Amino acid sequence: MSALGKVVRSGVGRRRVQTLVMALTTFTAVLSSVLSLGLLTAVQAPFEHAFTTRDGAHLAVQFDGSKVTAVQTTATAHVAGVTEAAGPYPIAAALDTTVGTDCPKTDWAGHDNHPITVTTRPDLGSTSGMDQLVLTQGRWPTSPGEIALPANNYADACFGSSVVFSSLPGKPSFKVVGFADSVTNSATGFATADGFARLTTAGATTDEQMLYRFARAGTDADIATDKQAVAAAVPAGAVEDGQSYLTAEQQATGNAKAFVPFLIAFGILGLVLSVLIIAIVVSGAVASGIRRIGILKSLGFTPSQVARAYTAQAMIPATLGVVLGTVFGNLAAGPILNGASEQLGAASATIPFWVSAVVSLGTLLIVGVTASIPALRAGRMPAVQALVVSRAPKAGRGQTAQRLASRLPLPRAMSLGLAQPFARPARAVLVGAAVLLGTVSVTFAVGLGTAFSKYQATTMSSGFNVASDIVIPTADVGAPWGLYGPNDPRHAYLDATKVAAALAKVPGTKAAFGWGDSGATLVGAPIGGEPPVLYTVSGDFSWTNMQLLSGRWYSAPGEAVVGDKLASAVGIRVGDDVTVVQQNKQVSLKVVGINFDTHGSDYTAMTDAATFTAAGLTPRIDQFNVELASNANGTDWSTAATAALTPLNASVQSNSSDTNLLVIIMGTLVAMFTLMLTVVAALGVLSMVVQDTRERVHDLGIFKALGMTPRQTVAMVLTSVALTGLIAGLVGVPLGVVVEKATQAPMGHAIGRHLPPSVTHVYTAGLLLPLLAAGVVIALLGALLPAGWAARSRTATALRAE
Amino acid sequence: MTNAPMIDVREATKKYDDGPPALAGVNLSVASGDCVAILGHSGSGKSTLLNLIAGLDKPSSGSVTVDGTRVDQLGEAGSAKYRRASIGMIFQFFNLLDDLTVLDNVMVPAQLAGMGKGEAKRRAVELLGSLGIERHVKAYPQRLSGGERQRVAVARALMNKPALLLADEPTGALDSSSVEDVRRLLLDLNAEGQTIVLVTHDVQLAATTAHRTIELVDGAVARDVVNSGSGAGLAAAQARR
Ligand SMILES: Nc1ncnc2c1ncn2[C@@H]1O[C@H](COP(=O)(O)OP(=O)(O)OP(=O)(O)O)[C@@H](O)[C@H]1O
Ligand SMILES: [Mg+2]
Repeated sequence: MSALGKVVRSGVGRRRVQTLVMALTTFTAVLSSVLSLGLLTAVQAPFEHAFTTRDGAHLAVQFDGSKVTAVQTTATAHVAGVTEAAGPYPIAAALDTTVGTDCPKTDWAGHDNHPITVTTRPDLGSTSGMDQLVLTQGRWPTSPGEIALPANNYADACFGSSVVFSSLPGKPSFKVVGFADSVTNSATGFATADGFARLTTAGATTDEQMLYRFARAGTDADIATDKQAVAAAVPAGAVEDGQSYLTAEQQATGNAKAFVPFLIAFGILGLVLSVLIIAIVVSGAVASGIRRIGILKSLGFTPSQVARAYTAQAMIPATLGVVLGTVFGNLAAGPILNGASEQLGAASATIPFWVSAVVSLGTLLIVGVTASIPALRAGRMPAVQALVVSRAPKAGRGQTAQRLASRLPLPRAMSLGLAQPFARPARAVLVGAAVLLGTVSVTFAVGLGTAFSKYQATTMSSGFNVASDIVIPTADVGAPWGLYGPNDPRHAYLDATKVAAALAKVPGTKAAFGWGDSGATLVGAPIGGEPPVLYTVSGDFSWTNMQLLSGRWYSAPGEAVVGDKLASAVGIRVGDDVTVVQQNKQVSLKVVGINFDTHGSDYTAMTDAATFTAAGLTPRIDQFNVELASNANGTDWSTAATAALTPLNASVQSNSSDTNLLVIIMGTLVAMFTLMLTVVAALGVLSMVVQDTRERVHDLGIFKALGMTPRQTVAMVLTSVALTGLIAGLVGVPLGVVVEKATQAPMGHAIGRHLPPSVTHVYTAGLLLPLLAAGVVIALLGALLPAGWAARSRTATALRAE
Repeated sequence: MTNAPMIDVREATKKYDDGPPALAGVNLSVASGDCVAILGHSGSGKSTLLNLIAGLDKPSSGSVTVDGTRVDQLGEAGSAKYRRASIGMIFQFFNLLDDLTVLDNVMVPAQLAGMGKGEAKRRAVELLGSLGIERHVKAYPQRLSGGERQRVAVARALMNKPALLLADEPTGALDSSSVEDVRRLLLDLNAEGQTIVLVTHDVQLAATTAHRTIELVDGAVARDVVNSGSGAGLAAAQARR
């Protein structure tokens, strides 16, 4: 081993705690950076790549063919802001379908299938122009009886069998010859012109679709403005609806992007903490090694060798942290990507290599620069100065503080400790900064964790998911959920009126409401993603904590409340009208409110069952949720209810609330990062106090000789960081709140939701007050060990040295 | 004055990890009110012996009893309380706390022992007055001369009225006039009944201050003689025989 190597190795070996801290902090920073950047690129890149190479449309607009001429629609290509346009293409939106009975898999044959939006284009397989469609299996349709669909809109096992447009008179049927899709889900069924004509003949309402790219299309607001410009160019009411590529992007990236904002926050906190810790440790090593540096130089080490020796003391543990952080970041990404984004294939559930490379090299560079600043200073220090410079701090700065502290009505050991930071203000600032970052992390994480559990509680156990006794059709007991779709004749429903009346008579019933998927489609709902659901509801659900974000609950037939995710995706506001279609019959609903959707589907709306009855349609109710009176006995109630409901083919079950795996993964990650950052912050304090104790060994010897007990020594050392910790805590808490608020909005946006105040308002006084103590706690935890060492240190010999 | 010795060191041995023992079977008995000087070359174990008596260090074997207390058997907290109550120490390099004023330095031992601030201050001012340095109470130690600093250290050592004053080369860093100053101070204290153990290189100082001189060679007592020369305590020493 070279002489330099020996110096480095003994340096690393003598500072085990500091070495561990440096490895841990870089590990934290790299892990969260690799994960955040990796998730962002892994979920975003495939969509962005496809969107670019396939020349995806920013916006697809459906025009009501009866209100515009072909000339008018074509002319919208020249509206200001439009850079490219295609169409018009005929389109028939949201047609109910079933899997044909010719499917060999009986699990699927005859079952409800996704609603499908069919279009035709002159050249379906075109590899030029806008919105190029891509075939993933099979071939394009060549005859009127054939169709191609996206793979996730039809049962895989039935490929080659037929799809039936079940709500159209005559139920036209097509053979599925290909799986194909549009990157922005501009349509979900592709037929030949003759094939499309079969749907028109069968009575499907058809529109004209235009596809656009715009000069400005980065945000929802841009797209809304662009859509407005297009709508202004045609007669009023001609624009039926439009699909933004941002909705398709949200559908494609799923919820994985929700991880990104808080991972970025942790990445930044971790990196700042790394820089701080490395600065603390290396400059500390230089400061306490000044004599050593002098000796090294007198032995013939060059300045650059000395500088390298000190830089290497930080680089070795940092490299270890970087390597481990990168490895674990890549390992952790797999499960997160798989759990968060169903749309992504297994192939893309890995982090691109360049992310690991950029993060590791970047971190090493930052660490290297941080370490080399004090190291270069050490290298340039003249040997003589290094040998003669005294380690004792300059008296003077500490004197005023000691004088003031001695006046406080505190035990002497504590007032002595209280004044210590003032003797070395720079060191106190570093301790404070470490505690501050720790406090910010804790505050941020506690807020985030609280928001997660509130989100979990709200979405998983309120509204339709409320924990309660439920009543379902006896036929559904034990049957897999969703076995038959809402329009499947085999789907069992409850006789809502009779069940409600029977429940009302059972003693102990306080409130009950029935609900079910009406099977209606929503005109203008996003074409891709999960099929939208309109629930018909009957009865009082005010006890289920379902939350309204704006407007009011419906109060009359014809009124509806729309879920926030659907409202954001389509741009529905209170006061708008939406059209729903059931059994090929259109019903117009007035939107009177937007609710925080907890129903479990992406795009939902709800209306009173009376709306359907008034329109001559049958509301479909297949579950009642029952609230029992507080004094009711559950078993007695069940017995009585079962007796009353059995004749109605209804059964009593209990609804257990579910958990959201994604939120649990997030919570675990947050807890893990918080723990690591807090530990690193406390270890930062520890290494500063160790350094301080080492330099104060002489004073500690004097105190000991004067009769200071170990307990008093511990009290003195702990007090020396308490004030710094308290101040850092007081500053850190508001900063942590700011960081939490800053990540909440993008996280909500990433999952396409508007979060209600009941979820976002997390910092109650009961939470903030204990958090204010976090700084002191971190500081004391960090100082506890060295305080114990100081109390036990053998100081007899230290008294001789001056 | 009791018959039991104030200090009773029996077969005390101190070994560090490497090299020969710093102390090898030392026996020492010091009566209350006595002033004993310990002489010896550098490295002969003088400070080690003093530290054992102060409870700052523990013997590898043997026993150390001070004022009836087995000092070698005390725990960390116990030995701190023992030092507080029974021991005052002064050193070659004074070991004053640079951040504290003279007054605060002197008050520390009493405050650590739990004495109220007002009372501690009164006693400190009184002590500093009796040592003739009351005008420096507000000053910081670094502004004082070596002799003055050592006076402050003595005041601090006496703050809790210790049974025993241990001085490790108290004149080692002083010029000759200050040496004389400190010598007189120790003589006066002893004359008032203060038991003193004085470690020094200075044969002259030992002879003129102490009743008894012990010489350590390689960690063992080589000589133990009663001073026959001058020294205020001489008469008292002879009287006790
Ligand atoms: N902490 C220690 N670790 C190892 N050896 C020690 C330690 N303290 C003292 N020694 C050794 O014990 C021996 C006695 O030391 P001590 O300090 O008692 O000598 P001394 O007589 O006071 O010398 P001086 O006149 O130089 O102060 C010396 O050889 C010294 O090196
Ligand atoms: Mg010595």
